[in-house]
Amino acid sequence: MKKDLRERLGKEWLVFDGGTGSILQSKGLKGGELPETWNLKRPEDIIDLHCGYLRAGCDIFNTNTFGANALKFPDNLEEIVTAAVENAKEARRRAGREDAYVALDIGPTGKLLEPLGDLPFERAVELFGEVVRYGSRAGADLVLIETMSDSYEAKAAVLAAKENCSLPVCITVTFDEKGKLLTGGSVDSTVALLEGLRVDALGVNCGLGPEQMIPIVKRLTEVCSVPVIVNPNAGLPRTEGGRTVYNVGPEEFAGWMEKIAEMGVQAVGGCCGTTPEHIRLTAERVRKLPFKAQTRKNRTVVSSFSQCVEIGPRPVIIGERINPTGKKKFKQALRDCDIEYILREGLRQEDSGAHILDVNVGLPEIDEPAMMTSVVQRLQSVLALPLQIDTTDPEALERGMRIYNGKPMVNSVGGKKESIETVFPLVRKYGGVLVALVLDEDGIPSDAEGRIRIAKRIYEAADRYGVPREDIVIDGLAMTISSDNKSAVVTLETLRRVRDELHGHTILGVSNISFGLPRRALINSHFLTMALQNGLSAAIMNPGNEEMMESYRAYLALAGLDPQCMGFIEAYAGTQDRVPAAKAAGAPGGTTGAADGTAGSATAGGTGVGGAAYGGTGAASTDRTGWGAGRASAASSSAMGLTESVVRGMAQSAAEAARKALAHTAALDLINGELIPALDQVGKGFEKGTVFLPQLLMSAEAAKAAFEVVKESLQGQSQEVKGRIILATVKGDIHDIGKNIVKVMLENYGYDVIDLGKDVAPEAIVEAAIRENIALVGLSALMTTTVVSMEETIRLLHEKKPDTKVVVGGAVMTQEYADAIHADCYAKDAMATVHFAEEVFGG
Amino acid sequence: MVLRPDLREITRYLGYHGVTPDENMMSEIQQCIEELENVITPRFVYDRFDLLQKEEDGRSILSFGGLETESRDLARNLKGCTGVYIMAVTLGPGPDRLVRRASVGKMSRAIIFQAAAAAMTEAWCDEINERIRKEAAKEGFCTRPRFSPGYGDLPLSMQKQISMILNMPKEIGVSLTESYLMTPSKSVTALIGVLPGPASLDVASQKLTNSAAGKCENCAAVENCPYAD
Repeated sequence: MKKDLRERLGKEWLVFDGGTGSILQSKGLKGGELPETWNLKRPEDIIDLHCGYLRAGCDIFNTNTFGANALKFPDNLEEIVTAAVENAKEARRRAGREDAYVALDIGPTGKLLEPLGDLPFERAVELFGEVVRYGSRAGADLVLIETMSDSYEAKAAVLAAKENCSLPVCITVTFDEKGKLLTGGSVDSTVALLEGLRVDALGVNCGLGPEQMIPIVKRLTEVCSVPVIVNPNAGLPRTEGGRTVYNVGPEEFAGWMEKIAEMGVQAVGGCCGTTPEHIRLTAERVRKLPFKAQTRKNRTVVSSFSQCVEIGPRPVIIGERINPTGKKKFKQALRDCDIEYILREGLRQEDSGAHILDVNVGLPEIDEPAMMTSVVQRLQSVLALPLQIDTTDPEALERGMRIYNGKPMVNSVGGKKESIETVFPLVRKYGGVLVALVLDEDGIPSDAEGRIRIAKRIYEAADRYGVPREDIVIDGLAMTISSDNKSAVVTLETLRRVRDELHGHTILGVSNISFGLPRRALINSHFLTMALQNGLSAAIMNPGNEEMMESYRAYLALAGLDPQCMGFIEAYAGTQDRVPAAKAAGAPGGTTGAADGTAGSATAGGTGVGGAAYGGTGAASTDRTGWGAGRASAASSSAMGLTESVVRGMAQSAAEAARKALAHTAALDLINGELIPALDQVGKGFEKGTVFLPQLLMSAEAAKAAFEVVKESLQGQSQEVKGRIILATVKGDIHDIGKNIVKVMLENYGYDVIDLGKDVAPEAIVEAAIRENIALVGLSALMTTTVVSMEETIRLLHEKKPDTKVVVGGAVMTQEYADAIHADCYAKDAMATVHFAEEVFGG
Repeated sequence: MVLRPDLREITRYLGYHGVTPDENMMSEIQQCIEELENVITPRFVYDRFDLLQKEEDGRSILSFGGLETESRDLARNLKGCTGVYIMAVTLGPGPDRLVRRASVGKMSRAIIFQAAAAAMTEAWCDEINERIRKEAAKEGFCTRPRFSPGYGDLPLSMQKQISMILNMPKEIGVSLTESYLMTPSKSVTALIGVLPGPASLDVASQKLTNSAAGKCENCAAVENCPYAD
């Protein structure tokens, strides 16, 4: 009886086979012909190919199914995959190599996943799942996913393999010479993701020759805890008379592979351009070397599509602002599905220096799983920070973890049996670093001893579920000192004991410590320092809180965790210590003009952070796009009036001016007397050709900043919305810049825009128009080929909701074209759309 | 990687019809170019194929690289050519991310990124085009201006065959949507015809690629080009 592959993988040398394409070409495969068709058309040639590698001494060989998926073979996929596995088994019999393992080979779909491309994540999982079902049913011994150059697609493939069979799953990905995937992932981020998904082995193939792979292999062996596979090409390709040839022969290849084997990898083989002879020599040489098993690295890491963040020894900041608790506006944004509001909150925290972002979108009246899915998807499409999925709803947790492109943090599990039984299986399946709260059925222990006891229980649960201990961070639970004077002491002791006795990592929601007290930032920043000193590995906090960031950066510098104090210097060079107000006024080069006070905190000039951003919560953002920015100092901009600020497109000074003006002018007078006329002035300039599109948008952004301030002053009062408008880029078209420009302008003029996004089906637009009873729909198309969908959308709208008007725009659109497809209006630019809206709504 | 985009092209994309933006806008554009330089991952792939042309019942049929297509405009572009290079270039997914990111609340920056990235893609195209021109010249061929699917009557659907011939998803990470648009969006495919003759006959080398004699020659919008100065 043959040994199970899992008993051998990582315990002895294993050799994979080599290239397929060049050998099939020499057997007569034509350019453009799909190699997988040969499983049916020319089985003898495929069997022959396998026999070559089996006789060369490989242990694992791949079925001829690299490109087999339902996109390429919609009609006979099952037949092809089954035949491929049968051919492999037949080869094994003929070569007398029953000890060898048949790997069901799975390559990329050739499509990019959303949001980069148009293949939905779950569709990718389905496509791969189908192949895995057919292949495992036909008798493959393992699944080998290979040549993946997108971490997201790799995740889809691994999930599909795990969900559709119980075979071992190995995966090799393709890095470029800089050690990056095509979509930006690094060795570290890729390993974090794949180990989190519990693959049996991982590694690298294709793209490069063995020599060029060496730096990548080095990093792989430094960070991997699972066995590492290395399958290079036979050097670099060049074209010779229309044929691709590779420059590294069998002898040289085997020499390099010997070096690679000695670096601490566990399995070797070849890819494009390698032949049975390459593999024979490699197997022969490598098997003579002493085998080294992979070592456990015990690193606590989370990842995004491109970044890997290690927790400890250097503590990290987890931004807490994506959370509705106690935030009226955030709650409203959730109810309105205003995801952009949430994205802005995320971007601000990234700019402020957060390393990871907590994502909590729980609100009783919304569909939390759906909201979690879309927020995670949108956040990871605009920022590169790893996310922490924070929810008490198991379904929202699973959907967030599933759709996430990386290894997330998971917030949280508690010591309760039910919580453990719900959360651990998800972490086992999807991977993640899990925040463990030291509370259980009996509540929160009042002493450190009790909390440590629960922590131990959670570690034991991790062992049971096969989750590595390093993937647990213990939340020592910060509770306000205003109700229990000893609470900080207990929390700090818990941190210390987790570090010293359990050798684990810790996390805290730091700001809870000061709840109910005045000057919370004062307490928070000092508590943060104390917690860090007692071993805190991750602080959940507001990275826009400058006092806390000061404590954090000062701690790193003092604790020897900031080499040459570079981080500290970068953040604070050129800034001044806070001095008493009386002195500051007279001090030359003091803090004058640095902060406008709205953030309630000092600014860090050295990081390029300006004053408070509009809608700011303390996290300041830059305003360097302002007209005349660079020249205009904070002092001079604060003197600028509202009209001028809007006309010159300066968001920050527009907000300031609005705030000042509100002291003596009624909100509505300010809007009608200054803001709208200023906008009109810019709009007219745009139409005359004296103001250009970037300026128009900057003015719009400045006006928006002012509107936000004015709206705040109107809180509680009903705010007038002039009308509601749907905008969409039509089906088949993925260009959305034009549509987004129109959206900015319409919102400026007081319209409520329902943005359906890009590539939107006609039915979806009509359905939304009917459901929301919309009077005006704006459609955008950039390609002549997609104007067809525009026409179809208009036809359907006119049929199903005849009272709705349609305005169209886009690069290829003309008045004649618009007439031909029965649009109600052709708008040549954003201002023209505004004018039509005024007409429709009687503005 | 440093690509030198044509600043005039960027301002043209931004709607400055022959007007030079002021200093602040120019420095804003410069900043955006620098940010883009940090995120682009330029890649390319090209290959050369023999070209066969024939006229059948007044239809112009072209075949190369195992594909056959009918296009009067491409036939005109490739007149007299014996071979054709097929090229595909991309700046990678970085620029799309940057545009998406800026679109959240800062559209003015998003459109500058968009315009600058488009011009950088053109610059990258020019660079690869130039490489091809030199390669052809060494073998005694001169080149025609590059021509892309979607120009004139050459159907966009030809992208599918080009993608297969060059193995674009694997080679440069570019894939097609259902409607044959390329993702990442800062990508270009093009055909460059070659015919025997000295390099002095190159049209591409005469810096005409941005004019009516170059890539605009078959554009449907040539009469009312929104980007014309």
